[in-house]
Amino acid sequence: MKDLALLAVDTAKAKGASYADARLIESRMEHIGTKNGKVGSYETSENTGFGVRVVAGGSWGFASSDDFSRESVQATAARAVETALASSKLQDKKLVLAPVKAHVATWNTPFEKDPFTVPLEEKLSFLFKVDEALRKVKGLAIAECSMGFEREKQLFASTEGSVIEQELLSSGAGMVALAVGEGDVQRRSFPSSEGHFASGGYEIVERLKLLENAERTAEEAVALLSADECPSGKKDIILDGAQLCLQIHESIGHPSELDRVLGTEANYAGTSYLKLDQHKKLRLGSEFVSIVADSTLPGGLATVGFDDEGVPAQKWNLVQDGLFVGYLTSRETADVCGDKNSRGCMRADGWNRIPLVRMTNIGLAPGTWTLDDLIADTKDGIFMLTNRSWSIDQMRYNFQFSTEIAWEIKNGKTGRMLKNPNYQGISTEFWNSCDAVCNDAHWFPWGIINCGKGQPGQIAKMSHGSAPARFRQVNVGVAK
Amino acid sequence: MEKARAESILKKALSFSEADEMEAFIGGGSYSLTRFANNIIHQNVNEQRYQLSVRSSFGKKTGRAVTNKFNDADIQAVVKTSEAVARAQPEISELLPVPEPQVYREVDAYDEGTASLSPEARADAVAAAVALCKKNGLEAAGYFSSGMGSLGAYGEVAPLAVANSRGLFAYHRGTEASFSITTIGNDSSGWAEASSWRVSDVDVAKLTSAAVEKAKVSSKPRAIEPGKYTVILEPAAVAELLVYMAWIGFGAMQVQEGRSFMSGKTGRQLFGPKIHLYDDVYNDLLRGRPFDFEGMPVQKVAIAEGGVIKGPVHDRSTAVKEGGQSTGHGLPVPNTLGPHVASVVLDVADGVPFEDLVKGTEKGVLVTRFWYVNVVDPMKVILTGMTRDGTFLVENGKITSGIKNFRFNESVVELLNKIEATSLPVRAGECVVPGVVAREFNFSSGTEF
Repeated sequence: MKDLALLAVDTAKAKGASYADARLIESRMEHIGTKNGKVGSYETSENTGFGVRVVAGGSWGFASSDDFSRESVQATAARAVETALASSKLQDKKLVLAPVKAHVATWNTPFEKDPFTVPLEEKLSFLFKVDEALRKVKGLAIAECSMGFEREKQLFASTEGSVIEQELLSSGAGMVALAVGEGDVQRRSFPSSEGHFASGGYEIVERLKLLENAERTAEEAVALLSADECPSGKKDIILDGAQLCLQIHESIGHPSELDRVLGTEANYAGTSYLKLDQHKKLRLGSEFVSIVADSTLPGGLATVGFDDEGVPAQKWNLVQDGLFVGYLTSRETADVCGDKNSRGCMRADGWNRIPLVRMTNIGLAPGTWTLDDLIADTKDGIFMLTNRSWSIDQMRYNFQFSTEIAWEIKNGKTGRMLKNPNYQGISTEFWNSCDAVCNDAHWFPWGIINCGKGQPGQIAKMSHGSAPARFRQVNVGVAK
Repeated sequence: MEKARAESILKKALSFSEADEMEAFIGGGSYSLTRFANNIIHQNVNEQRYQLSVRSSFGKKTGRAVTNKFNDADIQAVVKTSEAVARAQPEISELLPVPEPQVYREVDAYDEGTASLSPEARADAVAAAVALCKKNGLEAAGYFSSGMGSLGAYGEVAPLAVANSRGLFAYHRGTEASFSITTIGNDSSGWAEASSWRVSDVDVAKLTSAAVEKAKVSSKPRAIEPGKYTVILEPAAVAELLVYMAWIGFGAMQVQEGRSFMSGKTGRQLFGPKIHLYDDVYNDLLRGRPFDFEGMPVQKVAIAEGGVIKGPVHDRSTAVKEGGQSTGHGLPVPNTLGPHVASVVLDVADGVPFEDLVKGTEKGVLVTRFWYVNVVDPMKVILTGMTRDGTFLVENGKITSGIKNFRFNESVVELLNKIEATSLPVRAGECVVPGVVAREFNFSSGTEF
C-alpha cells in the first residue's frame, strides 16, 4: 500500500503539483439496533479507497477512487492536478502551507477488547437484556437500543517525506425510551441522546452500565407525560455534562474553526463571531470558563497521532479563564492567526473527502464544585439534562436548546420534574453568565458522532469533556 | 454505472447465494464540486464510488453486509458475510419475503452534458459569478456541483439498481447539477440556489444577480423587535419547514406508533382548504428514482388534499399492518425508521408571481431562507431556526429595508392554517413548493447581525 501512496504523490508531482498527499483508507463498520424486542437494524460494511490532494498552480485539487490498480492511482492523481489547475483560474494568491516536519510513524488507538471479535450473538444478547429492562416499565411505548463500532486503517504519504500509518477504533452504545401520550411524545435516553461513543474497544460498551440504568430511564420517560411544563422567564440554570457537550460544540467549538472565521464555510455552515480582531481580546466567558482543545485526550473520539495533513496531535487552550486565546487551524490557515505551525485539526470523512478544519476534542475545564453543593447553592433554578434539540445562527450568536428532562430547584433543593425544557441565549452573554463549574469527579468526555460540515457534506466525531455548570438568569421556556 | 454492469454485478452476487432469499442493491456514482469563497476557488473535488449492499435471509432470520469492492472474490465474500450475519440473528416474526418482480414508470433524468461537465466549465461559470460580485463590491461564496448516480449530500448511498432472488430487477440513472451562492457585503448577505437534473436549467447568471441584489438591498439592516409578523416566505424557506414536517410526521411507522401529528387524524381538516401536500417523485422538476430500497415502485402519495389529511407514505411492512399496499417509500430492511418521504410537493391552484406577494403585503417580514431548523415539539410540529442571508421589512407592498435576523418558534401545522397567498411552485432542494404569505409568524428573539 505504501508503494501506491508514493506512486500517487510522485505522479501528482510529475504532473505539475508543487505539493501532494495521498490517504489510503480501509474502514470497517458494524451497527446493531434493537427495537421493542426485535432486531431493528443491522449492517456490517467494508469500505476502501484513496484520495489524492494536490497543490498545483497555487490552488487545491482533489480526486479519489476505490480502484487500487496502478493505472487508477496514476489517473486519479492526474485528475487531482487537473482540478487544481482549473481552480487556479480564480485565485488571488498562491497557497502557502505552514511547515511540518516529515514524520515516518505509526499510531494506533489503544483498546482492550476488539469489538469485531465479540460474537454478534453476544452483542445482541446484551442489547435484548437492556431492551427487556426498559420494556418492563409500564406505559413505555418504544424501547430502542444500539451499539456501533468503526475501525479505520489509514496510510498517509506526502511529497514532503511523511509516511504515517494509523489505526483508529471507536465503539459505543446507548438506549432510548419513548413514551407516547395523547398528543405528547416524551423521550429519555442514556447515557446521552445519541448514546455514548469513544475511541477504544468493546470495553467502552461494557462500562456504560446500560442495564443498571434502563429502568430509571424508562420510568422517567413515562413520568414526563404527566410532568408540568417548564415555566417561562429568566432563571438560573444548571446544565448536566451531556447538554453542556453540545453547548460547547455549537457555541465555542464551531466558532473557533479558523476556516469558518476566514469565510470558506460562508455558503453553508456559516462564519463566526470569533473574528480575528477578537483574538486574545474578547472576554468570551467568565473567569470560570476555560476551554481546552486536545487531540491527545485518552478515549477522545478525535484522538489521533496525526491529523490528515500529517501534523502531530496537540493540546492547547481556546479559552483561558474567560479570554478567547486560540483557534482550530490547518497548515493553510495557521499563519493568519499568528501561529507558525498548524494545530493539526484537518480531518476528512473517509478516503473520498478532502480534509477540512474540524473540531478536535474540546472540553470545559473542571471547576471546584460538587453537584450537590451547586444545587444547594441555587435558590430559584432549573437543572436541565440530556440534549433533545439544538439550533444556532450561522455566526453562532443566538442559540436555542431543548433538553429531555429538567428538575426545578427551589431554595437549594430539587423538586418537581419538568417537561419540554428549553433555553435561549447569545453565546458570549451566556458563557459570561457562568459562575460555577463542577469538579473533575463529575467531568466526562461526552462523544458526538454526527457533526456535519462542508460541501460536499462530511461527518466527523469528537468528544467534549464537561462537568455540570451553572448559568445565571437565562431565558427559559422560550418556545411558546 | 451502466445498466448492464449493474445487472451483471447483482446477478453475480445472486449466483453466490445459498440463502433462502437474497436481495441486493448497488448505489453510488460520480460527483464533482467546485467550491468558492472570498471570491476565489478554494476547493475542487471529484469522487467516483459505488457500493454493493446484500441482504440474505434464512426463514425469518436476515442479515445485511456492504462492500465497495467488486471483483468476484469480494462479491462472494460480502454475500457470505450477509449469510453468516443472518444465521446469527434471532428471527424477526414480521419479516416479509422479498417482493415479486415489479413494473416501473420510466423517468428521464439523465443528461449527458451534466454527467460530463468539466472542472473548467464549472470554474468558468464560477468566475463569471465572482466577477459580478466583485463589480458590486461583494464577496461570493458557494459551489457548483455536477454528477451522476445516487450519492447524497453527505455521501450517503441510495440505490441505482435493485435485484432479488425472486427475479426482481430495477435500474434508474439520473444526473444532478446544483449552483449555490452567498453574496457578502459589510453588514449584509444574499443567497440563491438552484438544482436540476439538467445543468442547462441552472441559470448561474440569474441566480448570482438575485443574490447580489439581496445583499445590496439588505445593507445597513435595521433591528426590529421580535414578535408576531406577517411573513413572506420564499420557496427555500417553505421547503425547509416542510422537509422537517415530513421527516417527523409523514411516515406510516410514526403514525402507527402514535408519534406523528397525523396520528388518528386521517380524514380530518388539519390545514387550510388550499393546502394540497404530496410526495411525488415524478414531478417534472424532481424526476427522482421510481423505486425504493426493496425495489417497490414509488407511488405519488397524497398526504393532504384541501387541507384534509389523507394518509402517510408506506413501506411493505407498515402497509401489511393496515392491509394495504406499499407506496414505495421503504428504506433498507430491517430498519427502525420506517418509510421515508423523498419528494415533498406543495401544490397550489392560485399561485401568483412571487413579486406579487410582496406587492400585496401591507406590512411584513420577507425571509429568503431558514437555517439550522430543528424540532421543538414533534406532535405539534413546532420548529425553531434562524433566518439567514436576506431578511427584509416589507411596507406598503415594497421592500423598505434589510433587517437583522430572527429566531422563530412556530408550528408548521398552524402555519398551514394561516396562509393568505401563494406564489407559483418552483423547485427548492428536493421539494417543489411556492412562496407563501402567512400571518402571525412567531419570531421569538433576535441576533447580532
